[in-house]
Amino acid sequence: MTIEFTLNREPVAASNDKADMPLLWFLREDLRLKGTKFACGIGQCGACTVLANGNPVRSCVMRLADTQGMAITTIEGLARDERQLHPVQQAWIEVDVPQCGYCQSGQILSAVALLERTPNPTDADIDAAMTNICRCGTYVRIRKAVKAAALRSKATRL
Amino acid sequence: MRPPAIAHSVDRRTFLKASVSAAGALLVTIPLPPRSLSAATRAAEASTWCVYLTLHPDNTAELMSPVMEMGQFMRTTGPMILADEMDLDWSLLTITWDEPVLMRKNGKGELDSRYGQVSAGGSQSVRNNWDYMRQAGATVRRMLVEEAAARWRMSPDSLIAQDSFVIDPAGDRRISYGELAAKAARRRVRPEQIKLKQRSEYRIMGKDAVSADIRDIVMGRPLFGIDEEYPNALQAVIERAPALHADIASYNREAVLAMPGVRHVIEMPRKIEDHWPGGDAQVLAAGIAVVADSLWAAMQGRKALQARWKNGTSDDSAQQIQEFRRLVAGDGVANKLIDRGDVDAAFATADLVLDQTYEKPLFAHACMEPFNCIADIRSDSATVITGHQVPHWVAREVENITGIDGLKVTVVSKRMGGGFGRRGDLDYVREAVTLSYRIKQPVKVTWTREDDIQRDFFDAAAVMRVRAALKNKRIVGWQHRQAQTRGRPEASEYFPANVVSNYRVEQFASTSNIPCGPWRAPTILQWAFATESMLDELAHAAGEDPLAFRLQWLQPYREYPIENWAAKTIHSGRMAACYEAAARLADWGRPRPKGTGLGIAGQFTFGSYAACVLEVSVSEDNELKLLHAWGAIDCGFAINPNHIRSQMEGGFVDGLNAALFNDARVSEGRVVNDNFGSLRWIRLREAPLSIEVAIIDSGYGPTGVGEPPLPPAGAALANAIFAACGKRVRRMPIADSFRI
Repeated sequence: MTIEFTLNREPVAASNDKADMPLLWFLREDLRLKGTKFACGIGQCGACTVLANGNPVRSCVMRLADTQGMAITTIEGLARDERQLHPVQQAWIEVDVPQCGYCQSGQILSAVALLERTPNPTDADIDAAMTNICRCGTYVRIRKAVKAAALRSKATRL
Repeated sequence: MRPPAIAHSVDRRTFLKASVSAAGALLVTIPLPPRSLSAATRAAEASTWCVYLTLHPDNTAELMSPVMEMGQFMRTTGPMILADEMDLDWSLLTITWDEPVLMRKNGKGELDSRYGQVSAGGSQSVRNNWDYMRQAGATVRRMLVEEAAARWRMSPDSLIAQDSFVIDPAGDRRISYGELAAKAARRRVRPEQIKLKQRSEYRIMGKDAVSADIRDIVMGRPLFGIDEEYPNALQAVIERAPALHADIASYNREAVLAMPGVRHVIEMPRKIEDHWPGGDAQVLAAGIAVVADSLWAAMQGRKALQARWKNGTSDDSAQQIQEFRRLVAGDGVANKLIDRGDVDAAFATADLVLDQTYEKPLFAHACMEPFNCIADIRSDSATVITGHQVPHWVAREVENITGIDGLKVTVVSKRMGGGFGRRGDLDYVREAVTLSYRIKQPVKVTWTREDDIQRDFFDAAAVMRVRAALKNKRIVGWQHRQAQTRGRPEASEYFPANVVSNYRVEQFASTSNIPCGPWRAPTILQWAFATESMLDELAHAAGEDPLAFRLQWLQPYREYPIENWAAKTIHSGRMAACYEAAARLADWGRPRPKGTGLGIAGQFTFGSYAACVLEVSVSEDNELKLLHAWGAIDCGFAINPNHIRSQMEGGFVDGLNAALFNDARVSEGRVVNDNFGSLRWIRLREAPLSIEVAIIDSGYGPTGVGEPPLPPAGAALANAIFAACGKRVRRMPIADSFRI
């Protein structure tokens, strides 16, 4: 028996004896994808956020077994091309959001999920969706960048 | 206000060195002075080299920016100073990573950073590097210009430098730095030919620049110590005694050793030593390290240890705060830290005396990236890879533990996922070094969030009783009487000192075992909370507008000499200008709806001045909302306004978090709220919707922005709450008193 899922558009298989390992540690330690960050280990802070079928999940509390058949996206897989970053990443650069930068992979993926569901989010939508902790307190810029990304995505769609 | 003349004390004999690489690139090495030394000692010791700059023949440039980066933006700011004076094209510059930090030994054989200024802390990096970086840039520019002049057989003074080219305006021709580099390297420039730019000539400084590392961060590149791997390294996690000073009673050694992947189970000794801000503190808890082939295996082993502990202390943070309250309320004799003028007489003749007590709990650091360190201790050399604010201390620690000469220790400094003062401690380094030394194999130690908060060196809890005397609506006397976990008020030389001439600060010693340490602007947020809350209470008692009251209070606007490690003077006019600018942005005079109010507070911190106005609403049913904030900072010349605004926004939010939520609690000697489930932390929905920032150009040289934005936040919040609903909050965490 193996656990099979798609990671950043590529198939991945894991031995079933890792069923209880959180996805976070499988990504970081087994696959050596270090963009997904460990910070609380209890699903509170969101530094480990990845997308599972487009939904933001805290990978530190998601058992590997529960990824069976899912499409997982991490920060490494967000831009399809090194030269063409995702509109959310572009907005993050435009607004120059990060300070220490440690939580930002998770913030960016949370924003991607929000904008997929709600392309023109209100402040209340942003409040409800962006629940990740930023220890440096970059929240004002995160809010700005989410709005800037919404504009960029709209421009792309037109 | 007249800015002071900027002193240039560079010893030119020890200035930059240039050489040529085999590929024809110009390599420039630039010295920075050792920290905290007298000018004479600096001149004698600044004989080694720091910043490395390479100019390639294709006109691209590379810079190794050596100052530690923890989100304070020094990797961007430092290079901006150099590049501007050099007239480099900023877009052609790459700032490189990961070069080992070079060490030296001073005359006494003590290990030091070879370049004194690479450490990060106390908001000093910009100040310490400003003159040297500019001198270096101007020198390299002159070398390039002289080389171009020689080729064109012209006077160097008729040429200009711009965007990595030397230009002959008369002949309409130009030549790139890259082309000039190899020959320019051999030029010796006369010191009198080196001219620093005027501010009006800056092309890079004074304009917004984005982080040098922004692209790597948004792509999730492995920049942090926790992302590092090392050949043949074993992975270690450590179960530490939860209660302070506790020892190991028992644990399941054999069972854990039998688990798959587990290689070693090693007892780690407890260590108690003198620790800032003073007194013996547990700097390493007794622990049991599980060392395994993988981090996951080590974590499973740790869970199975089932460790039991004995002989912990019974420290209780709530009881200690009770004790502090009793001390400051009573008439016991405290240590007088400052006693100026005649405080008692001022109180005896006052029209009005206010006597209020303000409190703060222990603040945790909770750096987002949990601590980690890789150590490879070999027979007579070592490598350590970690993020640390003071890298030469890391090498010194290897020397202390292993006896290996610190100069044979390679310290690779990684970007830090937050520092806030906590990454100046060495506990996580000691653990990795001790384990690798013991098992003779490279080891990586990784902490969890619970490890981090349980073993924190907190910002001290404090109870501060402030008595202030008013006469004719002027403050004529001030007494600050406080008790805190450890240490003393660091800001007691700042205002109200000097502005109030009858001024006393006194302090009670504490017997707590709870370890404390530097926490972003150590003890200054609490100082501002007490001082600026009292100023507000006095203004209301006197029937004055809180802004007008402060501006009046600070007059006459003048500079006062002070005794402080980070500043020699403090200027009441610069502080007043910050209040005014923040208030102007906030449209201070505009009436707000019922239930909404503005609060103002300011603070001088380590050479910079910051003030904030916060707008909050408090509903009938006690729901608190932070709406908008406006800040003003005077940090002298603004090298990168974008990052100054960013630090103002983030620092203010960090301060609001401290005032609202940050509340580490110790019971039976152990921290009871050791993760974000029980230690609440501010999130986007609780932060102000917007923070607008004014940067004041006072004409002074640049000072720091890492810490100064934070301290005003707590008082601004308390004052805004009072304005919104008439309720005066004097106790942090403020979220205990409201729904938020």
